[in-house]
Amino acid sequence: MTDDTAGALRSSSTPTSKLGGVDNVGFRLARYFTGRDALVLALIAILGFLAVYPLTMLFYGSLHSTPPGMAGEFNLDGYRSIMTASNVIVLLNTIGISLGKTVPSLLMAVFLAWIIARTDTPYRDKLEVLITLPFFVPPILTAMAWGMLGNPQVGLLNQVWKWATGSTVSPINVYSYGGVIWHQVQYSTPFLFLFIVDIFRAMDPALEESSRMCGASRWRTFRNITLMLMLPALTNSFILSFIRGIENFESPLFFGTPAKITVITTEIYNSINHRATPDYQYATALSFAIMALMFLLVIWQWYVLRGRTFSTVTGKGYAPNVMKLGPWKWVTFGFCVLFFFITVILPIGQLAIGSFFKFFGFYSRDMFTFEHYTAVFSNSEIWRGFWNTMILGLAGATATMFLGSIVAYVSIRTRWRGRRLIDALAWLPWMMPGMVLGIGFLWAFAMLPGPIPIYGTIWALMLAYMALGTPVSVRVMSSAYAQLSYDLEECSRVHGATFFQTLWRILIALAWPSFAVGWVLAFFGIMRELSASILLYSVGSEVLSVVLLRLWSNGQAEQVSVIGLFMMLLVIVFRWAQLRFIKSRISTL
Amino acid sequence: MAAITLENVSRHFGAVAAVDNVNLNVEAGEFVTLLGPSGCGKTTTLRMVAGLEQNTGGRIGIDGQIVSDAQAKFFMPPERRMLGMVFQSYAIWPHMTVFDNVAYPLRIRRRPANEIQDRVKGALRLVEMENYADRPAPALSGGQQQRVAIARALVFEPRVLLLDEPLSNLDARLRTQTGDEFRSLQKRLGITSLYVTHDQSEAMALSDRVVVMHSGHILQIGSPEDIYRHPTSRGVAAFFGSPNFLPSQVTHCTQQANGSFMLTLDGPGWTGPCGCSSAQPLGAQVVVMIRSENMGVSTNGTATAADAMTWNGQVVQSIFRGTHRSLIVETPAGRLNIDVPAVTNPENGSTVTVVADRQAAWATPA
Ligand SMILES: Nc1ncnc2c1ncn2[C@@H]1O[C@H](COP(=O)(O)OP(=O)(O)OP(=O)(O)O)[C@@H](O)[C@H]1O
Ligand SMILES: [Mg+2]
Repeated sequence: MTDDTAGALRSSSTPTSKLGGVDNVGFRLARYFTGRDALVLALIAILGFLAVYPLTMLFYGSLHSTPPGMAGEFNLDGYRSIMTASNVIVLLNTIGISLGKTVPSLLMAVFLAWIIARTDTPYRDKLEVLITLPFFVPPILTAMAWGMLGNPQVGLLNQVWKWATGSTVSPINVYSYGGVIWHQVQYSTPFLFLFIVDIFRAMDPALEESSRMCGASRWRTFRNITLMLMLPALTNSFILSFIRGIENFESPLFFGTPAKITVITTEIYNSINHRATPDYQYATALSFAIMALMFLLVIWQWYVLRGRTFSTVTGKGYAPNVMKLGPWKWVTFGFCVLFFFITVILPIGQLAIGSFFKFFGFYSRDMFTFEHYTAVFSNSEIWRGFWNTMILGLAGATATMFLGSIVAYVSIRTRWRGRRLIDALAWLPWMMPGMVLGIGFLWAFAMLPGPIPIYGTIWALMLAYMALGTPVSVRVMSSAYAQLSYDLEECSRVHGATFFQTLWRILIALAWPSFAVGWVLAFFGIMRELSASILLYSVGSEVLSVVLLRLWSNGQAEQVSVIGLFMMLLVIVFRWAQLRFIKSRISTL
Repeated sequence: MAAITLENVSRHFGAVAAVDNVNLNVEAGEFVTLLGPSGCGKTTTLRMVAGLEQNTGGRIGIDGQIVSDAQAKFFMPPERRMLGMVFQSYAIWPHMTVFDNVAYPLRIRRRPANEIQDRVKGALRLVEMENYADRPAPALSGGQQQRVAIARALVFEPRVLLLDEPLSNLDARLRTQTGDEFRSLQKRLGITSLYVTHDQSEAMALSDRVVVMHSGHILQIGSPEDIYRHPTSRGVAAFFGSPNFLPSQVTHCTQQANGSFMLTLDGPGWTGPCGCSSAQPLGAQVVVMIRSENMGVSTNGTATAADAMTWNGQVVQSIFRGTHRSLIVETPAGRLNIDVPAVTNPENGSTVTVVADRQAAWATPA
């Protein structure tokens, strides 16, 4: 059926009509289409440079006989040299330590999450904030604090023990397998807790109630229903935590290296920094090998989760079953407080005490001094590190979040060609430990043509931080966008806003709480980053973590304490602001 | 000049043709409704006009200017088409106040602040929401959100207003009221409107013309009365209510002055003249549509008009519906649905005479 006036267009589009000629049409066409394609190509180029290029250069470097930037030949010596018996030990250490910290962390995290989400323990909301705080503290700080607390000769804990019992043996030695694992447990537990507590909260209470109605006891229900329903999520958390354990650098560096316990990341680091001539080919080949291991883990994760659905755990806000603990609630309360005390108060206390005495370990009244504060504040190198960290943190977090916002938008809210490639590229650095990415970038910067001097500038760190932060920022923004209806966005387009105006004024404006959460995460991520920084910094572009490590190696634990205290303060202020201003906004939206 | 022109417009999703070769002209100031069952391509058509969906075939023009031409690979993005649109979900941005929502199209176009102030006030007054300007948008009821959405769509005097089921989220009473209010506003402003709904009574009450769609095709375009009384196909006839269809045979066919045709038919238990939209060959099978409200029953066989169509039959079902009573009567012409006044209450099984007004009968191709 044809409308009687159809064909009116045909006459109005003749050359004399006011539509204008074909040129005009062609011009508009070109502008619209290249705008979108240019954006896709730009994203591919940026992400390619951040992820694929260093990875490719890593492979190139592993076959190259000389350090980055020097003429050499190609051979397999690198791979040959990593096939040693001692590296088998290194591999076993890596896997063993990571397993050794993941299992207790997971148990503890489930227990804490259960306390917070499912019992009537007093002050649960406040306890939750305290329990998650250790996750936000840079590990290098607690590593140094524990280095002082658990030092077998002069550690505070050992001194207190000896004083209290009159014995002469030191029970605690952090320079051991136990020390490496203990330090990681402090981070993994809150990390896993953050995942698990939400799953506990989101579970439909009817699923458990129906089990009780069928005659199962509370404990039986917990084992057979609650835990089983959470199993896919727990498995996923387990693998994630295991992967992070393999990437970990600080714990084995501080507590493993003095005790001659080596894992892959410290082996890479040592082969560059602690040999008479840095063996880049060896380090690079080892990096490539760890990438292969990570790849296997990611495949395993994908395989385990394949086909599992979380549909029993919906996102709806139920009021979960709360168990009345009676007097036991003070035991659970005490457990949470104890966790906070050991993971936060003890290290902060140690830093505070250490900063006021002439030498750490010798805490008598005549040793009391402010000289470390004046030394730190008059040390231009420390100030430079501080400003570099601040600049990199602010600019890096902002850039990472903008990149993540656009990548997440393109990959989940459009049907543009190339979006899957963009998504995959942005996810790639997820598999790369900071150490490996650092080496990849070392090669990548050295291979750039002469007029692009990135290595040796602050840009080297900036790019590495962006690469490391992008997977998280994409994830945060994707889940934020997924909650916004398409109409909100299309309505803006129809009413005259361009793509970028809509992205900014509607999507980011609506998703800004998530944007802010992601920003703070990225900022913390940059502030705590050590393993890539230690490879990529150069004189003038040191960041605080590098300065701290250098001071520590020079035996200036007291100045380290001063800086550490201020960094802790910064963490607490940021975390407070995040909870105070962002969380409250999220709940009202 | 036509305000919206669709010329052989198609939209394929892979192998599926959501919209297939649609031609339509909407005149300036006209209110045209796209009507059809779920999944027939109404929304897709509207979105192609808006520029939110790209047509895979044909051309679309707004105000005589081509905005999309699949063959020339020309596509104008939505923001340059100067349209207003009301979404089914209203799409009120929750992070802005009512004022900011309505001011958005003007701010995007960088209008001076005092003009924005005046125009937003004016638009809010049109929809009687001027007292809510400073409310945060989430603190509005569904009906109020709908008004804000209309104000926002009207505020910059768009060339055309597009509406996708804007009333479907409101309750029945509010739906009628808001629909009538919107129609009088539309008439007052003379704004060209393209409206999508699957509610027949809404389409009847609001539109100048109705476009009936089915699986991506247009079945018929016409005034609400035309579509209701003179459907060109059985599908269109069946879309409104549940009319009776009487199979019949054509014995004569003549064209009439108004372009329609007058058939002489031979049906079960009945012969006589009947209108039809298209010419039918002699001996062709057609169906005659008679709507249930145009049929009645007489229990004592008296007082029927001379040329009325009548059948005798038995009442098999009787349902009281408040405003009327629905009867099903078994006759030689098949089971007939008849709506009678609620007070008429023939017993189940009783024999009645079914009477239909010949004016209400209309033939469509079988
Ligand atoms: N993005 C898409 N991909 C594939 N098929 C689609 C897509 N969008 C719409 N369709 C299909 O096109 C057809 C028409 O859809 P449309 O949304 O236009 O229907 P509608 O008439 O608005 O229906 P309703 O009254 O339910 O809103 C449907 O069969 C639908 O499944
Ligand atoms: Mg629709």
